[in-house]
Amino acid sequence: MYIIVVGAGKVGHGLGVELIEGGLHEVVLVERDRNRAAELREELGEAVVHGDGTEVVFLESVGARRADLLIAVTADDGANLVACQVAKHWFHVQRTIARVNNPRNERLFHLLGIDSTISAPGAILAQIEVDLPEHTLIPLMRLHGSGLQLVDLHVLEGSEAAGKTIRDLPLPTETVISLVVTAEGKPQIPTAETVLQPGDEVIAVIRSETEPELRRLVSDAAHARVAD
Amino acid sequence: MNVVIMGCGRVGSTLAARLDRESWHVTIVDTDPYSFRRLPSDFRGEKVVGSGYEDHILVQAGIREADAFLALTQGDNRNLLAAQIAKHIFGVRTVVARVYDPFRGEIFSHLGLRTFSPTNIGAEMAYDALTQQD
Repeated sequence: MYIIVVGAGKVGHGLGVELIEGGLHEVVLVERDRNRAAELREELGEAVVHGDGTEVVFLESVGARRADLLIAVTADDGANLVACQVAKHWFHVQRTIARVNNPRNERLFHLLGIDSTISAPGAILAQIEVDLPEHTLIPLMRLHGSGLQLVDLHVLEGSEAAGKTIRDLPLPTETVISLVVTAEGKPQIPTAETVLQPGDEVIAVIRSETEPELRRLVSDAAHARVAD
Repeated sequence: MNVVIMGCGRVGSTLAARLDRESWHVTIVDTDPYSFRRLPSDFRGEKVVGSGYEDHILVQAGIREADAFLALTQGDNRNLLAAQIAKHIFGVRTVVARVYDPFRGEIFSHLGLRTFSPTNIGAEMAYDALTQQD
């Protein structure tokens, strides 16, 4: 694949090193700061290019037209969003990934068709939720530009889902229950007859906007209020 | 009509003063309170200190009641981020962004924003001034 990485700060540099040394892909690492770019060129060679990765003319010059993937990882959400939108709408780059510095911008990025977003605060917040005994739904990953996501549901005692077979669950449309891990840590591929027990972890593919509905389904009364 | 303007530079302050005279309800947002000195002393609108691409600042500036939002800072990407938040998160009907890079402006005008490029406008006016008949 031909991959353009926009932004060579700490994140971009780390990513660039892995991708370039991995040798599997053709990679260009774009850095706007001239001195930083020169410094990185010493280390990583010609793959580092000095320029503004949100500018049409510059992106054209590094061959954005034939890029398979653009990853924007600057510390500036505006630049990351615009780089991905320019890649998508002007150069028809198939897939775009953006770092989101302010977790509040994640929703906007998805609305605007950025395929994947990475938010360090968002990821850490999700981890905090994992450690709470009563967590109900943790988004694991967005699936490629389809409005679908992979989530981890935790079935609580006293929830609507507890004690029901999957067949009897009022699941929102396009929900696919993919894996159930029992409280004892046994993974099983569920069937329509599988009965969900309190303490089960359920890995499911869901449509993003049905998240609150699913949260309610696995919550007990007290947590359902929080979910609203 | 309610309008929120992000960026109290020369363009933002001039436009804010004009809309205020024309009886719009104007709120102007800038990260630097010193920039508000550019507004005329009889300006009746609100001034909000903060970044126009942060939700709580936009809410404070009355984005929920705004009929129009204009992003007029020096930064293209900042303007495009704020304009798209105004449009897609807050549903503001008319959203205008100043975009220096004409190509970038063109892309976003296809994505539902109204954009204008000071680069193109400036070049055009310089050309007219050069070629006008005395």
